[in-house]
Amino acid sequence: MVGFARVQAKRSEVAGEATSTAAAPIVRLRDVTKSYGTGAARTQVLRGVGFDIVGGEFVALVGQSGSGKSTLLNIIGGLDQPDAGEVEVFGTDTMRSSDARRAGIRNASIGFVFQAFNLLDHLTVLGNVILPASFAHAAKDVDARGREALRRVGLSDLASRRPGELSGGQKQRVAIARALFNSPTLLLCDEPTGNLDSETGKEVIDFFRELNAKDGVTLLIVTHERRVSSVAKRVIAMRDGMLVETTDEALAAAHGGGPT
Amino acid sequence: MMPARSLTRMVVANTLRSRRHFILSAFGIVIGIATFVVFLASTEQVGTVLEKIFPVEQVQVVAPRASLLGKDISKKLDDSIVEKIRSRPEVDRGDPTAVVPRMTLAFPAFGRGNFEGNDLKFEVGGFADGINPAFVNDDDRTRELFKDWDGLANDPRRVACEPPPRDPQEEVIQSPPAPKGKASKPGVYYNPCPQPDRYYCDEVDRTCHHRVPIVMSPTMIELYNGQFAKSHGLPIADTDFIKFVTQRGGLSAMRFSIGLGLTTIAGTNANISQRKVRRVEGVLVGINGKAMPIGMTMPIEYIQRWNREFLGEDAATSYSSIIVRLADRNQIAVFSQWLQDELDLRLEDSLGEKFATALFVIRLVLVLISLVIITISSINIAHNFFMQVTERRRELGLLRAVGATQTDVLMVVLGEAALIGFIGGVLGVALGVALAAGVDWGSVHYLPRFPYKPDSWFHFKWWIVLGGLACSTGFSVLGGYLPARRASTMEPAQALTQN
Repeated sequence: MVGFARVQAKRSEVAGEATSTAAAPIVRLRDVTKSYGTGAARTQVLRGVGFDIVGGEFVALVGQSGSGKSTLLNIIGGLDQPDAGEVEVFGTDTMRSSDARRAGIRNASIGFVFQAFNLLDHLTVLGNVILPASFAHAAKDVDARGREALRRVGLSDLASRRPGELSGGQKQRVAIARALFNSPTLLLCDEPTGNLDSETGKEVIDFFRELNAKDGVTLLIVTHERRVSSVAKRVIAMRDGMLVETTDEALAAAHGGGPT
Repeated sequence: MMPARSLTRMVVANTLRSRRHFILSAFGIVIGIATFVVFLASTEQVGTVLEKIFPVEQVQVVAPRASLLGKDISKKLDDSIVEKIRSRPEVDRGDPTAVVPRMTLAFPAFGRGNFEGNDLKFEVGGFADGINPAFVNDDDRTRELFKDWDGLANDPRRVACEPPPRDPQEEVIQSPPAPKGKASKPGVYYNPCPQPDRYYCDEVDRTCHHRVPIVMSPTMIELYNGQFAKSHGLPIADTDFIKFVTQRGGLSAMRFSIGLGLTTIAGTNANISQRKVRRVEGVLVGINGKAMPIGMTMPIEYIQRWNREFLGEDAATSYSSIIVRLADRNQIAVFSQWLQDELDLRLEDSLGEKFATALFVIRLVLVLISLVIITISSINIAHNFFMQVTERRRELGLLRAVGATQTDVLMVVLGEAALIGFIGGVLGVALGVALAAGVDWGSVHYLPRFPYKPDSWFHFKWWIVLGGLACSTGFSVLGGYLPARRASTMEPAQALTQN
């Protein structure tokens, strides 16, 4: 398997921005609550969650299934709305801002990596990578930037392939290339290694670590896996929709005996 | 909103990748639009044919028929009536020929000519009228020839000539042109006029006169083709009648004599002195929808002069009807009421108008039927798009994740609906045209010839095609709106977790 290319580039301007705003959080959550369903079927998923993430951090969000971590990730990314509380991303109150504003932030400053890759089978690998350009105004050098993103994840040769022709690890790298296409300041990853074998998963984790260290990209990774959280600079543990102390015991409980 | 280029590219790619969805959605639209354009094109063509038979763009004022002891005492239509009508606000002021009187030849006349070797004889009295030449100037040839030649002050060809010897046994004798480059045969009369294909030598003033220019209605051609040609073993006149007659020596070959004061009808009551009987010659110069439907029409000045000569001043100042072009067809009721109240006149019952009304209702019903088909197909489109949106939830959620707004998703889905509708419309129009071509082929090969049988039963005017495309696209967008709205308001987080 072709591994990730070494991150050659120096810190990008985006990374520089993240560093310069290190004092001010790029994500700020206060008393965030969220529930699904109505009546007897109502389930409280988040119960007053609050924390900050400053630029350049590498944060692992751990917890058992159903603890609310993916919901929290979606709320930070503007893919879901909380019932109450305060959510500020890049200084924008995403609860009160317009859909267009939230979409603009997602397009320009946030990259998503999903457990299920979420590639579009009818597009080529390059087509998937440059998909965010479809929603950006005045996007330039789209193909070249897409190929550069593919080079960074070591898939330069597969640009014209279809996702159906790729292995799971290759698909996830295409998804990462797509997330990196617009040089985001914040990368939100939801169980990025969940569908990968341990070797490929390790390569992905190493790539994230390098991305954070060299490019200064802020990472928030939702994970079950201790090996992922172990490389994070900060670990936030959740249980039953609330944050819990990040002691070793709590982390062990949060990982729920998952893969290490 | 996302850039238009990206939107277009995404819409086209999404539409083309799912053939099953496309076929399911577009099928109804194709059928609906095909019926829509075929119905409209056929009623349009039928309307065109009807207008040829019954000109509906103008009304005809007539005096109610009245008689006393066998004598016609109908109100006289004269110039004072014409002026009163001309002053009405309902009349089209911008058209100098908006009010045009017609005058019928009010005494017997008899025609004789030669066509395809056949000696044709026909009654002209009662089957001829006159009209203002300016009213019948639809083409260059008619404009040039259809005028009062005898009224011209200085016609250089009006030279003295020797008329043919009059044969008391013959009603009229047609002047043959002089043979070119051949010696005259003794005892044979040759037309001595400078332009013998146009001029003849008049027996009264013994000078050359231009033949009386005559136009005939397309109805006459249809009658000729439908019945006369077959029963007399004559050739069918092609649709392009001008071409037909040109092949036979041009319209000037269609000349004939008119014996003014003559008739073959036994027991005629016309009190015409035999001393007045004389002959003139006429020439067919065109086929025109404004001509008398059954008969012939010439410049009104000829009719006025002849009526004055044979019947007196009263006959020369009495019109048979007055053709009026209204500024707005909706004013017809007001104008009709004024005619009745003020002048004791009426509009001639227009069969054309009744047909036009019937055609309008038929067209309305047919369009409604096709709209019902299109509406059903747009419901089908809505159903298919709801299925699509459900199947593509994850994809749409991903679009939101990478920066699509709700409006972007709405536009993508609506764009797909519009594209399916447009392509369905194009295919529908093509299917309609193909169906029409098939019907026309069947009509040409299997339907017998009859008066006014058109070459095609369909007229696909540009607005019918554009209307079909607009309708298919519009209804498809309507059908796709609710699914598109559902897609755009979908929570992306939930959409992305769809299995």
